[in-house]
Amino acid sequence: MRRFVTMVMFAVSAGLVSVPVAHAQVLLFDYVGFDYEDPNPLPAEFGEVGSGYVGLGTVPFLFSPLTSNTTLNEYTYVMSGLTSTGYSTVSTFRIISYSSGTITIYEDAKSGGTTADYGTSPPNGVAPSTFTDGTPILVGTITNFQFVLNTANGTGSFEAVFNVTGGTQLSNFPLNQRMGWTFAGSSGNALNTPAGYAHQIDGQTFLNAPVASRRTTWGRLKAAYR
Amino acid sequence: MIPRMLATAVERESTMKRWLTTMCAALLLIGAAAPARAIGPIFDWDPAYFWQAGGTPTNLPAGGILKSVGTISAFGAPLDFLNATLPSIEYTFYVDGLTSLGTSVVGPPATEIYTTFYTGGTIAMYADATPDAVFTPFPPNADVPSTFLNDPPAILTGVFTSLVVTTNNFTAFQVGSIEGSIQWTGGSLIGYLGGPGGVPCPGLFTGGATWNTSPGIGIPGYLFRHDGKIDLQCPVPTQKSTWGRLKSLYR
Repeated sequence: MRRFVTMVMFAVSAGLVSVPVAHAQVLLFDYVGFDYEDPNPLPAEFGEVGSGYVGLGTVPFLFSPLTSNTTLNEYTYVMSGLTSTGYSTVSTFRIISYSSGTITIYEDAKSGGTTADYGTSPPNGVAPSTFTDGTPILVGTITNFQFVLNTANGTGSFEAVFNVTGGTQLSNFPLNQRMGWTFAGSSGNALNTPAGYAHQIDGQTFLNAPVASRRTTWGRLKAAYR
Repeated sequence: MIPRMLATAVERESTMKRWLTTMCAALLLIGAAAPARAIGPIFDWDPAYFWQAGGTPTNLPAGGILKSVGTISAFGAPLDFLNATLPSIEYTFYVDGLTSLGTSVVGPPATEIYTTFYTGGTIAMYADATPDAVFTPFPPNADVPSTFLNDPPAILTGVFTSLVVTTNNFTAFQVGSIEGSIQWTGGSLIGYLGGPGGVPCPGLFTGGATWNTSPGIGIPGYLFRHDGKIDLQCPVPTQKSTWGRLKSLYR
């Protein structure tokens, strides 16, 4: 019996492992904003060990299974809890690894709500507070966050594994469709970057397609492993 | 005698340094007090796709021509009077003529980074009252780029003054960046991009790129999916003055 259970578990695990590679992915939301470091032990550097990565901005486009009304509401995001655990240097590039963090999307009514305001030298009186007011409709964990930055021209990109874990719209996500990934381009060359922010960010988050499943009977399942 | 002379020199230098410091601080303050500039991009697209015949994500041979088509999903100031979400009209762009200078590689085998600079190149943006743009695989083909530029005249045209593609062999989701600068040259809306003296502000073409080929992300025949935007690089406003007036402000 134990051997059977082990075989079944192995088969299920093998199936699950292969799914993300083979299945389609869908765009969940698009985000645009800026990032900064807090805490920032060495202000002249980016990604130094112990520095905290914070990204915040607006979410102009949200897709199923999220529901949204961009006419009535402003959607914002805050990426936080990420701490640099180290980096390697390749020529002028810095490859920075971070601890796990979260990304949260907030819904705030345009009428009566507070318009998101970056201010300068964050954190400040308006940022991130004007980005975190409203209803947290989606909370996701971010793991394997890695930032590749060209220190010569300020251009870079980041990526991370994304996992839906909370928010008022959590129930919109089937249990077998909560994993995905996120990526963004970053630029330190935009003249419209508010003072005190490090980079401008433009990113997208994708959701893996639902893990395929098929109804069967215990008898059929057992027969498959005999 | 000598020590006194030195002291005088140091004193003068110190006074000059104090004055310069004050002036620099004042200039910084002036900069901070300048009128607010648009913080959002003037164009955001989701997505654009790039292709280059004979190229791969890690090797874009010299002389190859990089091209791209994209659909604009949002406008910001000063073009925020346009609505990219109307079903009756689509806004598209076409990038052509970016000539690769060859890909350079840095890093050990486990963490190689590939950088490709481009020269030349044009961009044209269109408003199409008969939406039909489609990212048909394996461009160029009957739909690409034609369905992205089928409603001339362009609303904006420009030339690239720089562009660089950065990729690598170690990111789990195959992620890099594409960034460049644009000098606007024409189009029906170029008048809205005016900076000081009426000269159009340059554009910063920027964003993340992925060569992930998973269905829903990549499209066969294209090298990169680009999630990007263009920001207007208007210089911080300045005001002509005289040294006398400037000094008098700090006396």
